[in-house]
Amino acid sequence: MLIEARQITKAFGGFTAVDRASLAVEPGEILGLIGPNGAGKSTLFNCLTGDLRPTSGCVLFEGRDVTRLAPEERARLGLARTFQVPQTFEHMTVLENVMIGAFLRTSRTSEASARARAVIDTVGLGPLADTPAHSLGTPGRKRLEIARALATRPKALLLDEAMAGLTPAEIARAIALIRDIHASGITLVIVEHVMEVVLSLASRVVVLHQGREIARGTPAEVTRDPVVIEAYLGKRAARAANRDAPESTGRSP
Amino acid sequence: MRALGVAVGSVAILAYPLVFSTPFQQRLGALVLLYAIGASAWNIVGGYAGQVSIGHAVFFGCGAYGALVSYQHLGLAPIAGLPIGVAVAILIAAVIGVPTLRLSGHYFSMATIAVAELVRLVVANTEWLGGAQGLSGPPVPRTLLDLSFTSALPYYYLFVAVLSAIIGLTWWIERSRIGYYLRAIRDSERAARSLGAAAPRYKLYAFILSAALTAVAGALYAVMFGFVDPESGLGILISVKMVIMAALGGAGLLLGPLVGAVILVPLEELSNSLLGGAGAGLTFVAYGAIVMAIARFQPGGILQRVLRLRRKARPAPAVPVAQP
Repeated sequence: MLIEARQITKAFGGFTAVDRASLAVEPGEILGLIGPNGAGKSTLFNCLTGDLRPTSGCVLFEGRDVTRLAPEERARLGLARTFQVPQTFEHMTVLENVMIGAFLRTSRTSEASARARAVIDTVGLGPLADTPAHSLGTPGRKRLEIARALATRPKALLLDEAMAGLTPAEIARAIALIRDIHASGITLVIVEHVMEVVLSLASRVVVLHQGREIARGTPAEVTRDPVVIEAYLGKRAARAANRDAPESTGRSP
Repeated sequence: MRALGVAVGSVAILAYPLVFSTPFQQRLGALVLLYAIGASAWNIVGGYAGQVSIGHAVFFGCGAYGALVSYQHLGLAPIAGLPIGVAVAILIAAVIGVPTLRLSGHYFSMATIAVAELVRLVVANTEWLGGAQGLSGPPVPRTLLDLSFTSALPYYYLFVAVLSAIIGLTWWIERSRIGYYLRAIRDSERAARSLGAAAPRYKLYAFILSAALTAVAGALYAVMFGFVDPESGLGILISVKMVIMAALGGAGLLLGPLVGAVILVPLEELSNSLLGGAGAGLTFVAYGAIVMAIARFQPGGILQRVLRLRRKARPAPAVPVAQP
């Protein structure tokens, strides 16, 4: 296993955001982490990256217990992430933003600059390298965050709602980019609200609801699961789904 | 173009006390440089790293008291106390920084104010440090090493040398990994950490370096004025001036603090000489107004505005600033 989360619980005061959730990511796969709003996806995600420390449970990276390591120490081991709300370095150029990532593997400015430029070209931000980050729109920022994370030369990349706020055409381009990254040998964990994205990318999916894991399996399996349908659309929709199904008995006349 | 600017600026700074050669003008020039040294030191942690210390007076005081303690109690030249002042400043910075720089937000600013005021009160009640009366330097120079001159001219060139060294050091930091990391931390500490920048450690480095250089400014102050008391060495106004000069000129910019000092120090000297003793209270009011003006109109400071205007004047880049 590349990343493993065992029995993670995270409570904020009396509220348990994540309740004994476990997760295992194999090297080379794309794991989707889905669930309705407030399901605890982001909280679990932040426990993996070190932004939050779980109340109980542990996180392993390449078999090593990293539960108590700071985010920067996990980055050094090869764990990179993006943020749901882009956290670009606003007062820096696109190139400088990516250099921050590249500096993890070199202390020389010229080398960091050269590596950053190469990464910027691969994600298609090349012509914008010297523009200030604050002039980018949402799609540009999302892409910049991915570039910055790639510049750290990660083994695993964790994407937190990389599609939020994108138009369908932009989503299509972002999916293509994520496929390229996966093809280059990087393991991916994607937290996603947009179901279609997860279904087209992930090989396995874990579904969270109210802090608990309610389903896991291939995308096709979990989307047929009535528990998942109920979590997403409510009881009535789940009943309606049953009703419409051919084997359903339907409402009595 | 850039080299030309540097050359013109250097010549202007070196020639100033020869052109404006009255004692008042030379003293004013030396004061501008001294404040520029203090504000440049503050700029490393407050500007580049974005950790706004409002208690840098404590480090200034370390330098000033270090210098005059070495004269009063050890009989040495005041400047010999500089390493003592720097060492104490580093120690205090570590004591404040290690617990508070792990937190984000205003904890750090508040802790710096609290420590500075605490130290001021303790010093004012410590006989060994001169209490409320303060400490004096040698009344007449014993050797050249006492650096006690009636003219401000030697101080002026001494301060030029020190300021050049600090600006040179800052320039180097700006271009190295730590400089990039500090600026990243200022914009988003969380993102910087996710990319491998050990934010608490880098903030502490910046704070300690800034404290040490501020102590140098304090020692130079004590050497020039030959006197320090709790108000002139540790008062909160000193901390506030460093913040305002850097912010007015442009916090996080190499020459921002110098620009701020060039504007503010003459204004302050002028108001002090026009208003006499009443000027001190008015200075607080004026600084309050400046803080509000910076916050409202020029968050980047004057230098940032100038740079932006210059960038606008240049032809637009061939690539449209659009989303990819």
